[in-house]
Amino acid sequence: MVPPEYYLLLSSGLFCIGLFGILTRRNALYFLMSVELMLNAANINLVAFSFYWGNLTGQTFALFAIALAAAEVAVGIGIILALYRNFGDVDVMQAATMRW
Amino acid sequence: MTDDGPDSSSRKPGLAAIALFGVLAAVVLGSASGFSDPATGFPAGESIIHNIGYALFDIDLGEIPSEGFLAAFLIIAIALDVALDSAVYLAKQEDEGTIVSALTDGGQDIVDGDVAATDETDETNRGGDR
Amino acid sequence: MVTAFDYVPAIVLLPFVSFVVALFLGKYLPKKGAYGGIAATAGSLLLSIWVLLAVRSGSAHQETYWTWAEGVGAQPFTLEFGALIDPLSALMLVIVTLIATLVHVFSLGYMNDEGERDLPRYYAGLGLFTASMLGFVIADNLLMAFMFFELVGLCSFLLIGFHFRQEGPPSAAKKAFLVTRFGDYFFLVGVVAVFATFGTAAFSGAESFPALAESAINGTTEGINTFGFEPTTWFTIVGLLVLGGVIGKSAQFPLHTWLPDAMEGPTPVSALIHAATMVAAGVYLVARMYGFYVLTPTTMGIIALVGGFTALFAATMGIVKEELKQVLAYSTISQYGYMMLALGSGGYVAAVFHLTTHAFFKALLFLGAGSVIIAMHHNENMWDMGGLKNKMPVTYWTFLAGSLALAGIFPFAGFWSKDEILYEALIHAGSEPLLFAGYAMGLLAVPVTAFYTFRMVFLTFHGNARSEIARNPEPVRWNVKGPLSVLGVLAAVTGVINMVPVQKVLGLEGIDYLHRWLDNEWGGIEGLSSHHYAEIGPYSSTYPFGTEVATVLAGAAISLALALVGLGLAWKLYNVAEPVEHTAKLGGAKELLYNNYYQDEFQVWLANRTRGVSGNADTFDQGVVDGVVNGVSSVSLVSGDRIKRIQTGVVGNYALLLTLSLTALLVAFAILGGWF
Repeated sequence: MVPPEYYLLLSSGLFCIGLFGILTRRNALYFLMSVELMLNAANINLVAFSFYWGNLTGQTFALFAIALAAAEVAVGIGIILALYRNFGDVDVMQAATMRW
Repeated sequence: MTDDGPDSSSRKPGLAAIALFGVLAAVVLGSASGFSDPATGFPAGESIIHNIGYALFDIDLGEIPSEGFLAAFLIIAIALDVALDSAVYLAKQEDEGTIVSALTDGGQDIVDGDVAATDETDETNRGGDR
Repeated sequence: MVTAFDYVPAIVLLPFVSFVVALFLGKYLPKKGAYGGIAATAGSLLLSIWVLLAVRSGSAHQETYWTWAEGVGAQPFTLEFGALIDPLSALMLVIVTLIATLVHVFSLGYMNDEGERDLPRYYAGLGLFTASMLGFVIADNLLMAFMFFELVGLCSFLLIGFHFRQEGPPSAAKKAFLVTRFGDYFFLVGVVAVFATFGTAAFSGAESFPALAESAINGTTEGINTFGFEPTTWFTIVGLLVLGGVIGKSAQFPLHTWLPDAMEGPTPVSALIHAATMVAAGVYLVARMYGFYVLTPTTMGIIALVGGFTALFAATMGIVKEELKQVLAYSTISQYGYMMLALGSGGYVAAVFHLTTHAFFKALLFLGAGSVIIAMHHNENMWDMGGLKNKMPVTYWTFLAGSLALAGIFPFAGFWSKDEILYEALIHAGSEPLLFAGYAMGLLAVPVTAFYTFRMVFLTFHGNARSEIARNPEPVRWNVKGPLSVLGVLAAVTGVINMVPVQKVLGLEGIDYLHRWLDNEWGGIEGLSSHHYAEIGPYSSTYPFGTEVATVLAGAAISLALALVGLGLAWKLYNVAEPVEHTAKLGGAKELLYNNYYQDEFQVWLANRTRGVSGNADTFDQGVVDGVVNGVSSVSLVSGDRIKRIQTGVVGNYALLLTLSLTALLVAFAILGGWF
C-alpha cells in the first residue's frame, strides 16, 4: 500500500512541471500541454483519495475532469488558431495588447 | 512558428515553479503523519468500472459508496458540445469575416462572400422558411 | 377610532407636498402653484382647528413617529421624530396655518397680479417655509426642533433672496442667514449639551429634560452629568447656549441686525417671517422649553433684560425710518422684545398671548403695507405717500386696526397682551429687581411704539398726496382685501381670549380663556402647564399699588396713557395736510438713529477684528482639510498609475504573479497554521 503523501508528492511534482512549462515556454501549444499536465496532477489527487477513502466519487469526478480537459483543449486550439491569425505567430508573449 | 529553443525564452520564471514545488513538498511531508494508515481501499472482487458506470447514471446497484452524477453527466455533455462548436467557430473565422468552411453545410451551396451582406441585398431571399 | 391626532403629520406634510408640486410642476399649473399652496395650507388650517378642538375636548397627544438613530452602550441616546400636541402647540398650529393661508391668498394679488417671474420658486419656498415651521411647532424633542429651526432659517434665506437678480436681496439673504447661523451655532452646542447632560432631549414626560432638570435642582442628580458644575450653574450655561439660537432667530439685541434688511424679500414673505414663522420660532422655543428656563433665575433675568432692552432699543430706531416696511421691521423686533420680557419675567401666558395677537396684527400690518406698496407701484417711501385714506378704504381701516393694536390702544388686541406683559413684569419685580429695569424699558417703549406707529399711519394715509402715484394709486383686488379684512377683525377682537384685567376688576370668573387653556384646564400634558411653571419659577408676586385690583388698574392706566401720549404727539406732528420732517429736532441723536446705533458698522468692525482668526481658519481649511482630501486623491491617482503597469497583457507575467502569490500565501498559511 502506497502511503497517500507519495501521491501528493507525485501530483504536486506534476503540477509544478506543468507550471514550469507555462512560465518558461512561449509557444502556445506548449502552453496547452502544460495546462494538461496541471489538470492531470489534480486528477491524480482525485483518484488517490478516492481509493484512500474507499469512495468512488473521486474517480468519477476525475472522468469528468478529463472530459472538461477535452473541451478546454478544443477551445484552446481554437484560441491558438485565432492567435495565429491575428499575430502571425503562436508566441503568447507577443499577444500583449490586452493591457492598461 | 516560434523556435522554442533554450535561447528564445528565459528559464528564470521557472524558478518560481520550483519554489512552489519546494513549499508544497514541505507541506505534504510535514503533514504526512496525519494520514491514517492503512487506507480504506476498495472491497476486493468488486468491479470498479461497473461501479463507476452505475454512479454515472444514478443506478443504485454498486457496492462501493458514491454519489449520483447523472445531472453532471448531462451538463458535461452539453459543455462538450458547446466547446466543440466554439472551437469550430473560432477555427472558421477568417480575416475579412468571411466563412471558409471546412465542414459540409448540409448540401447547400456555399455562400460566397459575406453572408450578412448577401442577406441584406437580396430582397427575394428575405424571410420565409428557407 | 380615528382622532384628530392621527392627522398631525398631515398638517406638516400638506405644505410640503405643495412645495414639491410647486417646485416640479409649478410652471404648468394655473397661477404657478398658488392654488396648490392655498389648498394645502387651508387643509392644514382645517386639520389644525380640528386638533385644537380635540385638545379643547380634553386630550393631548405625544407620539414618536420615527426613531432614526439608536445609540448603544450604557446610556444610549435615541434620536427621534415625534409630535407633541398640547395646548401651546395646538394654538401655534392654528396661528401659523391661518397666517400662511392668508399670505398665500395675498400672494395672488401681490405676486401673480403684479406679473412677477419665477413664481413656482416663490410658492415652493412658501410651502417649504410653512412646512418647516409646522414641523418645528409639533416637535417633541429639542433635536427635531433644531432641525426644523434650521430649515426655517434656510427657507427665509431662499425667500428673502427671492429677487436675486437685484443687488440688495441676495446680500440681505446672506446677512439673515449668517447672523441667525451665528446664534444657531450656540443653539447647536446647547442641543449637544442637553444630550450630554440628560441623555434625552424630549420636551414632555417624566423622562424629559425639563423634568430631569427640575429633580436635579431638588437634589436628585442621578443619571445627570453636569460636568462638575452645580446643577443650577450648568443649567444656566445650557439655557444660555440654547438662548443664542433664540436671540438670533427672534432678532433680539445684539443679533437683530438681519431683520430690517430682510425687508428686501417680497412683502408677503415679510408678513410670514414676522408674524408666524421665522421670528416667532425663537420665542416659541423658549415657551416650549419654559419648564427648563424657569429653573434658573439668572437665565430668566437675562431673557427679561434682553427683551426689555430690545423692545425699547428697536422702538427708538423705528421713529426715524422713511420706508413703510422698515418701520414695521423695527416694530417687530420691539414686539418680540416684549415677548422675551414676558417670558423672562414669568409671564408665560402673557408671552403666548402677545405672540398670538402680534401674529395677527403684524401680519395685518405687513399685508396692509403690501397693499399700499402695490398701490404705490413698489415705492415704499412714506414721504411720497399721503392721502391714501380715501382711495383705499379697506386697506386704511384694517391698517388702522392693526396700528391701534400695535400701539396698544384699548380695546384692540395689542392692548390686552402688552398690558399683561407689563403687569407680569411689574408684579414680579418685587422678587427680582432686575425685572424692574425690564419693566421700565418696556414701559418707555410704549409711547415710542405708539408714536412711530401713528407717524407711519398719518404719513401714509392722511394729509395730502405728496406724489403723482399717491394721487392715482393702483387698485387692489379681492385677494388683497380678503386677507386684510380677516386679519383686521382678528386684530380688533383677539383680546377677548384673555381679558384678565376685566376679570380681576369686575370679578367675572372664567373669561381668561387663554390662562385656562395653557393651564391644561381642558387637556394637556402633565408638567407643561402654566400653573406648573409658576410653581417651579423663581418669582413671587407683590403688588406695588396695594391690592391686586389697584395694581391692575394702575398698570393698565399707565401704559394706556403713555400710548396715548405717543399717539397724540404723532397726531400733532404728522396729522396735518403737509407734514414735514421733524427729525432735525432730535439733534445729535438723529444721525445715531438713522444709522441704527451703528450696530451694522459695529458688527463689521468686529468682523474685521476677527479677520486674523478667520484667516487662520481659512488657511487651516485650505491647507490641512483640503490638503488631506487632495492628498488622498493624488495618492490614489499616482499609485493607480504605478500599479496598473503590472497589467502587462503578457500571459506569462500573469502566470508568474499567480505562482508567486500562491507560494507566498502557502508559506504564510503554513507558518501561521504550523503545517511544517
